[in-house]
Amino acid sequence: MDRVVGIDLGTTNSLVAILEDGGPRVLPDPDTGARLLPSAVSFLPDGEVVVGERARQLAAERPLDTILSVKRFMGLGPEHVTDEDRRRYRFAEGTSGVVRFLAGGRERTAPEVSAYVLRELRRWAERALDEPVSKAVVTVPAYFNDSQRQATKDAGRLAGLEILRLVNEPTAAALAYGLDKGAEGTVAVYDLGGGTFDISILKLRAGIFEVLATNGDTRLGGDDLDTRIADVLLAELPPALAQHPQIRSQVLAMAERAKRALSDQSQTELELVTPDGKPIRRTIRREEFEALVRDLVERTTRPCRQALKDAGVEPADIGEVVAVGGSTRVPLVRRTMEAIFGRVPLTSIDPDEVVALGAGIQAGILMGGRRDMLLLDVIPLSLGIETMGGVFTRLIDRNVTIPVSVKENFTTAVDNQTSVDVHVLQGERELASDNRSLARFSIPIEPQPAGVPRLDMTFLVDANGILSVTATDLRTGRERTVEVKPSYGLTDEQIEQMLEESFDHAEDDIEQRQLREARVDADTILHATRTSLEKHARSLEPGEAERIGGAVAALAAARDGDDHLRIRECYDELSQATEPFARRIMDVALREAVEGRSLEEL
Amino acid sequence: MEGSSASLMVRAETRERECWHCSARTGLALVCGQCEAPQPLAAGVDLFAVLGLRRRLVVDPDDLERRYHEASRVVHPDRHQTAGERDRTFSLAASAAVNRAYRTLRDPIARGRYWLELHGSPLGERNNQVPPALAELVFETQEHLAELRGASDPGAARESIETAYADIDARLRALVAELEARYAVWDAAGGETSDALAELKRRLSEIAYLNTLRDDVDETLDALRTPS
Repeated sequence: MDRVVGIDLGTTNSLVAILEDGGPRVLPDPDTGARLLPSAVSFLPDGEVVVGERARQLAAERPLDTILSVKRFMGLGPEHVTDEDRRRYRFAEGTSGVVRFLAGGRERTAPEVSAYVLRELRRWAERALDEPVSKAVVTVPAYFNDSQRQATKDAGRLAGLEILRLVNEPTAAALAYGLDKGAEGTVAVYDLGGGTFDISILKLRAGIFEVLATNGDTRLGGDDLDTRIADVLLAELPPALAQHPQIRSQVLAMAERAKRALSDQSQTELELVTPDGKPIRRTIRREEFEALVRDLVERTTRPCRQALKDAGVEPADIGEVVAVGGSTRVPLVRRTMEAIFGRVPLTSIDPDEVVALGAGIQAGILMGGRRDMLLLDVIPLSLGIETMGGVFTRLIDRNVTIPVSVKENFTTAVDNQTSVDVHVLQGERELASDNRSLARFSIPIEPQPAGVPRLDMTFLVDANGILSVTATDLRTGRERTVEVKPSYGLTDEQIEQMLEESFDHAEDDIEQRQLREARVDADTILHATRTSLEKHARSLEPGEAERIGGAVAALAAARDGDDHLRIRECYDELSQATEPFARRIMDVALREAVEGRSLEEL
Repeated sequence: MEGSSASLMVRAETRERECWHCSARTGLALVCGQCEAPQPLAAGVDLFAVLGLRRRLVVDPDDLERRYHEASRVVHPDRHQTAGERDRTFSLAASAAVNRAYRTLRDPIARGRYWLELHGSPLGERNNQVPPALAELVFETQEHLAELRGASDPGAARESIETAYADIDARLRALVAELEARYAVWDAAGGETSDALAELKRRLSEIAYLNTLRDDVDETLDALRTPS
């Protein structure tokens, strides 16, 4: 049996672990010894792709080309991209299919970006184990829907890893604790990750880890706490500065550090060094932080209550509460957990590593080790089809143990219909349009009077929580697997093509890429300059507006041409022309910040 | 149907079954006792048989869970990940059947509904008619809900709706407890008389009706708890 590794593909950090005789072990970076790989990918203009810690540092300098939390975009379509997302990244135009980032002058889907993270972890594992690694267990948020799970599997394929099993993160954490403590009874796992929140209620008995219910929010995580802190600081900066992607990125990194600091300290200081070298300081107290994020943390309560209800247990029945995810170190989050479950959470295993350790254990189970342990997980969201009048008809209820299969009988509504069209969705709402579309497919049939054709369709959700459909024509008895066109996913052909491109066209047309890159940078500075001219007209000196205006016109003209060197030249000229103006805007900001603080201190 | 010639034939056929992989006799086993290969599900096998149970309305929950865990340990896809494609396909189907059997049989209501299905008399999805025995409770609850919608003091109305919820919940528990008591009686008497099936159906419709009502009240309460 080939080696299987366990991977926690996190929003903020990712890890790789294996199961050994003595228990699970995290495999560190062979060069630095680091155990956490920041899930950051930076695309440089020369085509180089940087992954991990260095990429995270590059974010301040190259915010638009550095994707920091790609997991938030897995399995989504362009219509799910928020305004906040658009302030942080650039996206390719388009209204259908999957989200595509524009980074490093190329379009990149979320699975492609994630694949870089997986590839790096694979390298770590191969170095540590001194053998090739091609199979993995990868964890996903329990509340991930079918498309998000499929996207994760696609990322594995693109990274040359066969993903044998997707394991829900809270379940993996329970596995790590269960092995550690040999626990029995009912356990709640509260997992506040970087970008997602999950709650799972499990029953542990004689090595069987049975998930009773799960709930969550795939758009709520520690990142959101950081954003709230960052917004405070950004609001105190002049708009021109606050909108600057590099400043935003710096402030965000600073906010994350402040959040950590406030877990042990009652106050911390944020210090932003502006482009002209002047520091801006802002003190933030724990009470202020808690007031800023209270509503976010409060949002975790409802999923917890629903999960308890679905599991049919009362808080008093819960034997242990397990805290997972770095943000569960925040005292307010701890207190919220205690308020919901009435007990102090377990934190004896590092909340940053516990999911990876669980993934490592599951990898060991699949390799045939630990035959005493078994995971029985559930489907997090109800699955169904659209029926007459746009109604969502449930076929599989949420929290049903997987694998699960349901057989449905279909026929035709009108004479001589040549196909039966099926729209599969996932969610809890009554109307199809309020739920998440997973896929559409069409099964051709011979034309016959209405109601005569009979099709049996089997909807099977496997142990990964991923759906497949087979249809049997009851008249001919012919069975076939249905070709599903994913609503927010990649087709097999698209993945094949990406794989080919990554091998064949590693040396892509550099000229073209440099041109795209230069144009994108030109657009950014043009936009920033025009906005600042409008907003800070009073900070202009005589003749300055004309000088800047001339440079803007030159760059705008060069941008529409196809000489990237010329664009770079005009870019530099514009940036020189605007420098004194930018410094003056900064000074005003600094003054305002200082005045603001002295008032506060009085 | 038990004891009929059709089911005897199924039983005879399944006793003859051989492992597709090593040809050992497997009978109704989910995996081969010899080589551990998962077996295709035998045709005509009911959910009781999937977990090795006789068809009975009364099910011991601890015994059921033990059987479920034992079956899961041998059929679950995690156990056959390193085997060939055919093993994995059968494992998936068998595992889904085991899960369905447990889900259906552990809950007395789902078990009762399945019993009706097995006996060719399924409970319809729609039953809009108020069961006569519940009329009073239903009308009272609807009155409370109407009050709540037009209430100037939602606090007071909420109290009455919470009381209504508790009433329905208690009634529901009592009905389920009664039903389970009847299961024992029917099992002792053979369980398949048309009278027993008719009574089972009536009781299940009452329970289904109350369940829907309780969910409605619960939704209203939920909406009150979270200001939109």
